Formats: sequence, C-alpha cells, structure tokens
Amino acid sequence: MKKFSAIIAAAMLLASFSAFAADAPVGSIKAAHGTATIMRNTATIEAKNGARVFQNDLLKTGSDGTLAVVFRDDTLLSLGPDSTVAINEFLFSPAEGKLSIVTRLLRGTAAYMSGIIAKLAPDSVRFETPVASIGIRGTVFAAKVDNPSE
Amino acid sequence: MKKIYGSVLVVLAVLLGLAACAKDRCTVVLLPDPDGKIGQVHVYNLGGSQVLREPNMATGVASAEEAPRQPEKMTEQELRETFGDALATLPSPPIHFTLYFITGTTKLTDESKELLTQIIPAIEERGSTDVSVVGHTDRVGSREDNYRLGMNRALLVQKILLSLKIAPQFIEVASHGEDNPLVKTADNIPEAKNRRVEVVVR
Repeated sequence: MKKFSAIIAAAMLLASFSAFAADAPVGSIKAAHGTATIMRNTATIEAKNGARVFQNDLLKTGSDGTLAVVFRDDTLLSLGPDSTVAINEFLFSPAEGKLSIVTRLLRGTAAYMSGIIAKLAPDSVRFETPVASIGIRGTVFAAKVDNPSE
Repeated sequence: MKKIYGSVLVVLAVLLGLAACAKDRCTVVLLPDPDGKIGQVHVYNLGGSQVLREPNMATGVASAEEAPRQPEKMTEQELRETFGDALATLPSPPIHFTLYFITGTTKLTDESKELLTQIIPAIEERGSTDVSVVGHTDRVGSREDNYRLGMNRALLVQKILLSLKIAPQFIEVASHGEDNPLVKTADNIPEAKNRRVEVVVR
C-alpha cells in the first residue's frame, strides 16, 4: 500500500512538472460563434470568447461555427465553418531567442495574419496542411483544405 | 492561323486550370495586409514550390507529391464564396501601449498618465477579454530587485485598470525585470526607454 502511494506521489510530481512546461497560454479565443470547441487531451471544451488556448490544442468549428485565436505574439488565426486546426508549437520568448509558431489546418477554411514571430524570425513560422506547407513573410493569407473522404 | 492556335491554347489552359482546381485538396491565397502592404507566402511540398507575391494570387495543391500549380488570380467573388466566413472572423490586431516610469520608482511619467486614459476605450471598443500587463526595468540595481520593481510597476497598472472596472480575470500580470530591454545596455546603466510597462489589449 505504501509502495502504491509512493508511485501515485511520483506520478503526481511528474504530472505537475509537465503541466508547468505547458502551463502558459499561447493565446485566447475571440469572435466565437455557433459550434466552436477546443479539444484538449481527451476533453472537449466550449470555445467561448476569452477562453485561453494552449499548445497542442485542437480547435474545431461545426457547420454553423466560426472562431478566431489571438496569439501572444499578435498572430491572428480565424476559422470558417466545418474547420479544424491544430496548434502544434508556440514559443515566444524574444529575450531568450526562443521563437516558433507552427499551426496545421486539417480541414476547412482559415485566414491568417502573421505577428511578431514572423517579424523577428520568419523561418520559425510555418502553417501546414496535409498536402503542403506554407512559409510566411509578414502577411495575410487564407487557406482551404478539402477532406478527400467527404 | 497563329491567332486561332493562340486562342485554342488559352482555352485549353483555362480548362486544364479548372480541372486542376477541382481536384485540389488545398488552396492558398495571398491577401493584402490591413495597411495595404503585400507580403509573401511560399507554398511547398515534396513535388515543388510556388511563391505568391501579389494580392489575391492563389495556388492549389492536389497531393503531397504534386507541386503546387502555377498561381492564378482569384476573383473577389471566389474569395467571398470560399473564404468569406473565415475573413469576416479575423479580428483586428492587438493594440500595444508602452507606459514609462520615473527611475527606480513605480511613478508614471506625465506623458504615460495621459496615455493610460486611452487603454480603457481600446479594451471596450474591441470587447477585449485578454489584456496583458508586463513590467520592465533598466539595469540599475540587482537583477532580483529589478524583477520585483518590474512586478510592482505592473501591479500598479493592474490596480488602475481594476479601479476602472476591468474584470480581474481578463488581466494577466508579469514581470520581465531587466531581462527584456527595449534598448540593450551594459549593467547598471540607466535607460528611460527600458523603465516601462507594456500593455497589450487583444
């Protein structure tokens, strides 16, 4: 029994360390309408205005939904209906030179306005789709991904 | 005769373009920035790459192995039909305010007291629920003291925002101490531009 609680304690300690690393929000939700959700690990959370967004979150809109994310570096990303985007990586510590933003549109439509990371380290900005990657030199663009199974 | 061949080729090219378009799994279009400037996007995969440099130029990609096709201009109507909802949802960019302090203190300069009055209207105008308040110092004094001073400067600004009825859960406070200067200096050099609180209204 003692051993068991020791294992639990160790697991909790580990969990708290990993929580610490992924603790800081990378942005927040804005302009959410209709069905808009955040998938975090196994949880599904309603993407309300002001909800914080974290690295590895999956953002989804339904057929009546739209949402936008304002990232900590001022990058803006919005989704049209029936869309899914993954926040794969976000590092924004200019003082330490740690800069990176990688997002991936899995389906649907998105509009994107690059922020401070694109100004400081353009090569660290990537927008991915299942069939191509997009490199960004300080700008606005829109992208659409069609799911072949539909 | 040459002319006819020419038109046939144009028609063929358009038809091929449409056919390619229909099969594309991904479409990317470059748009002008809010200030009218035009940036650049580079669309690439295993098959090759294309660079979009002009507004409304678009490329399509059929698969991860096939190169993005030759860019073509998207009409305003196509843009609206395909990207209208996403574009209408794109928020306006966050607004940054930099408030300056008198050396070694949490006292705002007179100009910054003035600027402070613009923050509340900015929060209200965009219905912001995400405001960050980050304190900074110059390199006079120890790193630890400066972390504390930066935090105290940020807490002062937070207190002012709270007194003006901004909800506490909307405000995030942090200190970068002397580690994130606007102007890089040697240690113990006073620099007015670094004694600041940066407020970002998202």
